[in-house]
Amino acid sequence: MKSRYIIRIVYSVVKFALSVIVLSVLVFTISRLAPGDPLYAYYGERVEKMSMEEQEQAREKLGLGESIPTQYVRWFQGAIHGDFGISYKYKMDVKEVIAERIGNTFFLGGLGFALIFALSLFIGLFCAWREDKIADRVICGIGTLTSCIPEFWMSLLLILVFAVWLKWLPSSGAYSVGKERSLTDRTAHLILPLIVVVLGHLWYYAFQVRNRLLEEVREDYVLLARMKGLSGKRVLCRHCLRNVLPSYFSMMAIAFPHILGGTYVVETVFSYPGIGTLAYESARYQDYNLLMLVSLLTGTLVIFCNILAQWINACIDPRIGAGRESRQGEVGSL
Amino acid sequence: MPDLLEVKDLSVSFYRPEGELQALKNVSFSLHAGEILAIMGETGCGKSVLCKSILKLLPDMAKIKTGQIYFKGEEISAYSEKQMQRLRGSAFSMVFQNPMTALNPCMNVGMQISEAVRQRQPELSRRGRQERVEELIELVGLDHPGERRRQYPCHFSGGMAQRCVIAIALAAKPEILFADEPTTSLDVTVQAQILELLLKLREKTGMTVVFVTHNPGVAARVADRVALMREGKLYRIAEVEEFFEESIHNQNCI
Repeated sequence: MKSRYIIRIVYSVVKFALSVIVLSVLVFTISRLAPGDPLYAYYGERVEKMSMEEQEQAREKLGLGESIPTQYVRWFQGAIHGDFGISYKYKMDVKEVIAERIGNTFFLGGLGFALIFALSLFIGLFCAWREDKIADRVICGIGTLTSCIPEFWMSLLLILVFAVWLKWLPSSGAYSVGKERSLTDRTAHLILPLIVVVLGHLWYYAFQVRNRLLEEVREDYVLLARMKGLSGKRVLCRHCLRNVLPSYFSMMAIAFPHILGGTYVVETVFSYPGIGTLAYESARYQDYNLLMLVSLLTGTLVIFCNILAQWINACIDPRIGAGRESRQGEVGSL
Repeated sequence: MPDLLEVKDLSVSFYRPEGELQALKNVSFSLHAGEILAIMGETGCGKSVLCKSILKLLPDMAKIKTGQIYFKGEEISAYSEKQMQRLRGSAFSMVFQNPMTALNPCMNVGMQISEAVRQRQPELSRRGRQERVEELIELVGLDHPGERRRQYPCHFSGGMAQRCVIAIALAAKPEILFADEPTTSLDVTVQAQILELLLKLREKTGMTVVFVTHNPGVAARVADRVALMREGKLYRIAEVEEFFEESIHNQNCI
């Protein structure tokens, strides 16, 4: 029994490691095949004044002279020892560049995720309870509308209304100059991006919860539960929700990187100093090392969350566990 | 015998986008206290709809068009959802056709039974409720109640699951038990066991049973009276001997 678990864990770790390596090869190759010159990121406009030889030397210095496989092997050797190279644009260790900003992204993404997680469950339950009544229809209408608006456009609209016209909230950044430690100032900067992140994803998940609940409501066990004298609301919360939650948890585990990805777009529009803005800049300016680490971090998170989702599903749903047990029973009886 | 339940001129229709579908047409009958009434008929003739409309468990698109239902002389067809809830957990109970889908797969059976106990006997303590649950599990003929109540429906066979559903129904200490084809989805030996169990429990509790089936053999075995339905109408209702004697003379009736 114990060895089965160890095998499963080892299997998951190997799968995880392989996925990350494949991802790194892909990002490495694609970024170098993309058009553009990384020298611009390092030297800026000066590149145009350099002679061909000087450019060649500069390339050599940055380790870009060799073939792509050789470059990858060198990068990989460094990466194993924790050396991910320097950022061409910021001219310092990429780890430091990211460390400065990753907190901002996780704060925005994490807060957005928590809000989406709780709100979509609540809205989904409410809509399922009021199925096809006025309240449900209105919420469905508004939800579909908000989820169809592209995030960048919604961001611009909110900036226009709340920052430009009403002047209630700041339009960009994570804090005003000189107020880095002021909580109110940080919160004020967070509100608009947070609204966009939440509104952009909320309805998709709330709608999933609503529809799954409505499927459950039509199951036989609901009749039996109502036969006990339970009210419709109790049956929904105690019986149907229990059957929806496993798939909801695994859905949200997969959603985490998705929502984080959503913050990347929002960060760019609001010039919010997070790794989303970094990812965009590094791809634009061929800042290879920075791009590698940002993609790897995001990719690792995605893969990790997917594996986590599988585990959550297997743990919560008694039927999956039962399947395993009964199979063991068969082997034993043979 | 006094009439426990009286159904007068009941018509039920399903209002679907394609149009109205009459499921019950002017059904009238009465149920005597303590008897077993078997309702027979082919699939889709309205047997289940009849049970569910008495219990008001029909989907939203189904409406009672005409008719009244009286329980102990009180008109329950006019009851609100709140009032019906009180009746469902105590006066009425139901056993369903497919036990594997009738139990919630994500909740252990002890909890599912305990929920019904709590509705009926809210005064019981946690401990008392647990004892009652184990008592019910033993009553329906399952062994090791202490372990059984922690198991999930997927650990049970069809017959065992049906026993759990019956335990849930009994937790309400019902006056009328509606058994909606309780043996149809089970294999033959288990069918016999479940029938035996239902008869034994009836003996013990003295409850009235409405037994829906499409198996004449089963109806002849358990029922005091038999009602035959066809295309939403109550075709014939009679004492069991009389019913089957006539049917032998007139083969078309079944």
